[in-house]
Amino acid sequence: MAWQILASGWDLMDREIFFRAGLAIIGSAMLIAIFAPFLTAYAPDEFCGMPLSEPSSDHLLGTNDLGQDIFSRLIYGTRATLIIGFLGALIGVATGTLIGTVAGYYGGRTDEVISRFMDVMMTIPAFPLLLVLSVLLSPGIYVISLLMGLLGGSHSGRVIRSQVLSIAETNHILGSRALGLSDAYIMARHILPNIMPLITVKYVFSAQAFMLMGVGLGFLGIGDVSVIDWGQMINHAYSSGAFALGMWWWIGPPGLAVTVLSIGLAMIGFGLEERLNPRLSHRNVEATA
Amino acid sequence: MKSLRNNYFFKRITYCLLVFVISMSITFAVLHLMPGNYIQSLLPYLADINPEFSELFKAKFGLDRPIIEQYLMYLSNILQGNWGYSFQYGAPVLDVITEKLVWTLIIILPATILSVLAGIAIGAYSGWKNGSNTDICLLNTMVFVGAVPSYWWAIMAILVFSYSLGLFPLGGFVSLDALFSGINPIDVLHHALLPILVLTLSSIPGTYYFMRNSMLMTLGEGYILTARAKGVQERDILRHHALKNAMLPMITIVSLQCAHMITGSIFIETIFSWPGMGLLTFDALSARDLPLLEGIFLMDTLVVIAANFVADILYGVADPRVRVGSHG
Repeated sequence: MAWQILASGWDLMDREIFFRAGLAIIGSAMLIAIFAPFLTAYAPDEFCGMPLSEPSSDHLLGTNDLGQDIFSRLIYGTRATLIIGFLGALIGVATGTLIGTVAGYYGGRTDEVISRFMDVMMTIPAFPLLLVLSVLLSPGIYVISLLMGLLGGSHSGRVIRSQVLSIAETNHILGSRALGLSDAYIMARHILPNIMPLITVKYVFSAQAFMLMGVGLGFLGIGDVSVIDWGQMINHAYSSGAFALGMWWWIGPPGLAVTVLSIGLAMIGFGLEERLNPRLSHRNVEATA
Repeated sequence: MKSLRNNYFFKRITYCLLVFVISMSITFAVLHLMPGNYIQSLLPYLADINPEFSELFKAKFGLDRPIIEQYLMYLSNILQGNWGYSFQYGAPVLDVITEKLVWTLIIILPATILSVLAGIAIGAYSGWKNGSNTDICLLNTMVFVGAVPSYWWAIMAILVFSYSLGLFPLGGFVSLDALFSGINPIDVLHHALLPILVLTLSSIPGTYYFMRNSMLMTLGEGYILTARAKGVQERDILRHHALKNAMLPMITIVSLQCAHMITGSIFIETIFSWPGMGLLTFDALSARDLPLLEGIFLMDTLVVIAANFVADILYGVADPRVRVGSHG
């Protein structure tokens, strides 16, 4: 059976390889973003060829309707996409860690107020709100990242809170309190290191979600028009009729690129999660069942 | 017992109201932060030529009153169904939205039901067969399916099924025949099928992960071990002990999925030119029609609140422990 051979092949390869492949994908994307000028023959905004030409040795992925080199735009577009994903996730997870730790550590009324606040934030549909705010502010990519981070922070905040809640009850935290250490010190030096693995996993998955969201904003035509991003490339190709013309090299590459990056982040995330929570691993199945 | 239960419902309703009031406050703030004033953006030339008219307009619409009074007026207007006027359509926002809401529900409802059923079934199977080749195969497939953005699935689906194979229309909701013969439900279904399938596909992984995790957690419980020790048939353990308990948390997850669905449908409807709220959102974005967007946001909030509320009630019915306990 092809199905079984495939499955056993996957098992042999092990999740570890997926994790490393994910790191390799994201690592090379970062290198591409940094060294974009050395990898491309044309500036991304340069009108350098015949409009709508097919892929050739001059233009690896052809040109768009304005005669811009699609390959250059794809390479430069890596920057905005990565910035939105990673910066948005940084702000989101930092916000979540801050409010989650405070809620979990102090407990009682503080916890009650913060938890209710997070509940409300999670009920309000974030993406439509993000659209409203984007139209109002017409933000650049940094403001978009900030908005996404603040709106999405509650998701990680809730998970981190419940983790801190159980850590705050452990003996070494109670001991540190008895020694009279300040709350800020305990949170920074004793609680934070304990939730770091969880924060890392949350960070990777948030980066994936925010990256897709950022490209989605561009696709809906409300991204930052001063930068080149893959969402706007898809939008432009889509609305200019790349479909009807059958020009897969125009609409395909940016979508494929964001898909590959997203899969890379997912592989890193699941690899990390499995190390963190052995109960999810298929290897320990006999131990738990 | 009875008063406790009433108290629980009362709390939930208060919570729902609170969420809606906060959403309304956000839209109110956004309207007031909008650059320029309302009359300026509505009738730009008139306001410049005739300042008195501008004053009259302000008085007429209460824009000269204190902000608190305006805020209260805004809240009561919204609650009475007066959601403002769309710049682009020149019609009441609520009318424009409710017309489109039906079309969105036509694809969102089947997609939700299908993806939840499939996600629970595959997730439960995968968790039960934990560690087997099938489980790993399913998990990897789901990681892949979930990592591909929904708009990319939609574009690929059109490319393959509509463009190359010609099995489905390229977009829209009825064929041109509808002009002569009226709207034919089967024709609409034919147009709706691909969007529904794509939305379902991109929503399955979310439900799948949660169900698989929930199954794994349940299988680690003491009562499963007890049942095994007693010599209960594996099939009965699955049916009576594992499945029922693992499915409980899914009720809450499903309501969370609802917000995800709305977001997904914005992309899917835009790509398939399906005339629902998602495409309306896209149009409103292109025209920078802020009042309409705010109305859409409020409607989305209402849909999510309703889903949450139903989930809460179902949870109370399904799990008696929640009903009287102090629910968070």
